[in-house]
Amino acid sequence: MPETQPLKWVVTANFTSEGGVAYLRADKSVTRVLAEAGRFATKADAEALRKLALGMEAILADPYLIEVAELPDGIDALSARERIRAAGPTIRVRRPDPRIHTH
Amino acid sequence: MYQYDEYDQRIVEERAKQFEGQVERRFAGEITENEFKPLRLQNGLYMQLHAYMLRVAIPYGTLSSQQLRKLAHIARVYDKGYGHLTTRQNMQYNWPKLDDVPKILAELATVQMHAIQTSGNCVRNVTSDHFAGVARDELEDPRPWAELIRQWSTFHPEFAALPRKFKIAVSSTPDVDRAAVRFHDIGVRLVQNAAGVRGFEVLVGGGMGRTPLIAPVIAPFVAREDLLSYLEAVLRVYNLHGRRDNIYKARIKILVNALGVEAFAAQVDEEWAQIKDGPLKLSAQEIARVAKDFAPPAYQKLPAADALLSALKLGKDRELGRFVQNNTTLHKQPGYVAVTVSVKEKDTPPGDLTDHQMERVADLAERFGFGELRVTHTQNLVLPDVKVNDLPALHAELKSLGLATANANKLTDIIACPGLDYCALANARSIPVGMEIMQRFEDVDYQNDLGDISLKISGCINACGHHHVGNIGILGIDKQGEEYYQLMLGGSPGHDASIGETLGRAFPRGEIVDAVDTVLKRYLELRSSADDAFIDVVRRLGLTPFKEVLYPAPQQLQEAAHANH
Repeated sequence: MPETQPLKWVVTANFTSEGGVAYLRADKSVTRVLAEAGRFATKADAEALRKLALGMEAILADPYLIEVAELPDGIDALSARERIRAAGPTIRVRRPDPRIHTH
Repeated sequence: MYQYDEYDQRIVEERAKQFEGQVERRFAGEITENEFKPLRLQNGLYMQLHAYMLRVAIPYGTLSSQQLRKLAHIARVYDKGYGHLTTRQNMQYNWPKLDDVPKILAELATVQMHAIQTSGNCVRNVTSDHFAGVARDELEDPRPWAELIRQWSTFHPEFAALPRKFKIAVSSTPDVDRAAVRFHDIGVRLVQNAAGVRGFEVLVGGGMGRTPLIAPVIAPFVAREDLLSYLEAVLRVYNLHGRRDNIYKARIKILVNALGVEAFAAQVDEEWAQIKDGPLKLSAQEIARVAKDFAPPAYQKLPAADALLSALKLGKDRELGRFVQNNTTLHKQPGYVAVTVSVKEKDTPPGDLTDHQMERVADLAERFGFGELRVTHTQNLVLPDVKVNDLPALHAELKSLGLATANANKLTDIIACPGLDYCALANARSIPVGMEIMQRFEDVDYQNDLGDISLKISGCINACGHHHVGNIGILGIDKQGEEYYQLMLGGSPGHDASIGETLGRAFPRGEIVDAVDTVLKRYLELRSSADDAFIDVVRRLGLTPFKEVLYPAPQQLQEAAHANH
């Protein structure tokens, strides 16, 4: 098990257009990839970015902070909720369609 | 089924147009998300983990084939090719884009559907017995009453901002309860008194969530013409005195519990006395206006087919026999049955239907019935008017669609909420647990040996998966970022309503299905005969025999280890 780095903070939200998961990069741009998110050592720094995101309402809805751990090979959300949110549903999103399996 | 009049139609069309303008203003930055949120929720649009979710109302679970085709079209054009049946007999879409939602609402309006009041602190979709109108054991079709309640409660100006959401269910079966009326804010039971007069028993203050309660009877007999005024009085008392300071104590069940049943009923009576003889009094003409849309279809006069039904159950085609045994329900009309279309196929999320399946089932509803379907609160479909003679052909068609699993009311006929795969409120996943159980116990013969068992899974304490009333209930919880599952036994949503009790410490994700297996094996050891139902064994013997095998004492573990050496 890799040694985890100290807890850090990330700003996340949902895209207004389709509700997809969004993260704020440190340069204030927006990404769909957790690994690209800006990580902040203090909650206050992350909160400052969250407040900025509140002003991007045409693009983002309901920004909030999540806790993450930095690993040598990436970043790990600390709750099951945020891990699933980052990776997508753990089940196949579309039920197998019989048309695909017929001749 | 009920047909919109010109006013109904205009309302849903104008509502779709109105929402289109609200979405445009949201994108233009003219309204904030906080301002927009209540507007979208009033149209059934939630923000979930990965996307928006749109909940479409299916009043009392009754659906036409034309409407189902429209739902399929929406799934294909605006979503990811599937829809999800809910425990309020609705359909949810998990991936709509915001600017498509007004178009979806406009499409729904063309088939007399909408998403109004499927969210928010208002009266939600009125539910009923999914066999209403065809069940052999009902007094009369309860749907005209459910429709009258729907019309009264839709856009009711006093009840648009209640302390909390409000759920009403209607049933008319004296000896069973397929609508879980005792677990609703208001349960309305059509009853017949000793003089042969029909009216309503009204139960108030049931519910699940973090405070599960069985609704007490507030009024044993309300005359038919007084139903709406009585309900209005109940809602007024709740609207005035229900708590708005604490979301967890805001449901009417908390108020009824705090005041006591008699005091609450007295307040309702006092309010009712002022409005009983007002405009809400239902005239015979008004009742007939709505009831005419629920007149029985043009059934053929057929001989009773009970013998044929028995022959099919015991026939050489065992797959068909098991399907007829488990998935058909006796019908009022000789020669007909109601068929449960199981949406609980292993390897697929409970309640998920593809666009193709919806379209084909709509075809089957016309070929093997009168173009009507039902959605059950257990996340299945029902074809209500199938000729017994047609069962082999219907079974073959359903089988080709993957919708013929013979598991109605059996272990794998699972209710599961969307859970942490979709839901913003969830603490743990429900669907993967349900699917693993469906895979592990897919053998229908084993399920038949177990008998009727309900298993219900919720991913959080809000209990959308009805875990409190499962004979076996599973509740997902979060323990320091990891998913765990509490196991409970002894719940029942029906006439014999009871709330399940937790067995003990929660199980990690990797152990919960084994724990269910252990419970089932213990039940088979404990039962006195094959007729000794799971719920009866739990009620008779309590939880202790199950705890003994699930949580063996350290000494037992040592003895077991020793024996293995």
